[in-house]
Amino acid sequence: MNISRQNIYLLTLSVLLLTFVLIFSFAVLIPNGKEYRIKRAELKKESRKLKQLSDFAYDTSTKLQKLQGENRHIITAFSTAFSVERFQKQHRSFFTSLKLSKISKQENEGEFAVYEVNTSSEISSPKSFYNFLEAVNKSDWIVGVNFPINFKRDAEMINSSFTMKVFENNKDSNASK
Amino acid sequence: MKYSYIKPRTKTALTKDIQLLFTFFSVTIGMLFLTYVFLLFKEYRFEENRAEVIQEEKDLRASIKIMKAKITFIEKQNILSERVFTQNSVLKDSIHNLFDLVPGRITLSQAKILEDGLILYGITPNKDVYNFMLQAPLRSIFHRTYSSFYPIENGWYRFVSTNYIDEESKNEY
Repeated sequence: MNISRQNIYLLTLSVLLLTFVLIFSFAVLIPNGKEYRIKRAELKKESRKLKQLSDFAYDTSTKLQKLQGENRHIITAFSTAFSVERFQKQHRSFFTSLKLSKISKQENEGEFAVYEVNTSSEISSPKSFYNFLEAVNKSDWIVGVNFPINFKRDAEMINSSFTMKVFENNKDSNASK
Repeated sequence: MKYSYIKPRTKTALTKDIQLLFTFFSVTIGMLFLTYVFLLFKEYRFEENRAEVIQEEKDLRASIKIMKAKITFIEKQNILSERVFTQNSVLKDSIHNLFDLVPGRITLSQAKILEDGLILYGITPNKDVYNFMLQAPLRSIFHRTYSSFYPIENGWYRFVSTNYIDEESKNEY
């Protein structure tokens, strides 16, 4: 068999180039391809997790907005600082006279600050007091009428004295949130 | 001086066969390199996107935590306000019932409503009216009832009625 030198060169070159192609493919390209697939799968997994999380965040946000909408009055009332003047102005109509003493801070109730206000008033009939108790639930603050309540007849009027507990957001605990 | 009649042809290492071989392998190797570069680029992009997704997840988790804390706080506000409003309503009904309880023949001069009791001061025409018309219903409500009478000039009696609910059963009311 007579193979020319030219053909031997050609064959050697072909074998060398083919070897390079094979080594490059198996040593570099295929492992890289595998890594590509792993990274793609990881990204898909994370994206699925993100989708679930963002759905949950949307649900939570909807729930929060609904709660805020339904409890707007309560939320505002808790964040409003109690004002003796404003309270007197708003509830004076139920009494012949209404006096509120200085506010004293009580022990906190959980995350809420509690203030106590002593009240003395004069009413013409118990009905006025019932109306006051109804109105206090709709006032600008969270106010609970507390014991002891004292009613004392004075001619045609009734002198009443009672304490009120005012509940507010505790600014210290809210600031730390 | 010329030794051949034909023109010498230029010899080159790049014969037609070699050229064909190089073209074939250049295209093959070129495609392989392009694939490699594509894979590297895509891997880099995946890594980058994954980092972004993880950061987004982290932000979302933080925002969910804040929202949950807000929800819990609103629920606490709701529970407390409901309790206060209910207490006010119960108090209103209790005072209403108390004044309804007092018969027309008895005149109250003072009423002290305590957390666990009730003290009434008033005037009754006689002890029987007080005992049957006021003390009887008070006994049915309170656990301990004490009454004192003081005669006054017109033959009527001034009375002090002290009524208590025992601590252990207070929660039932």
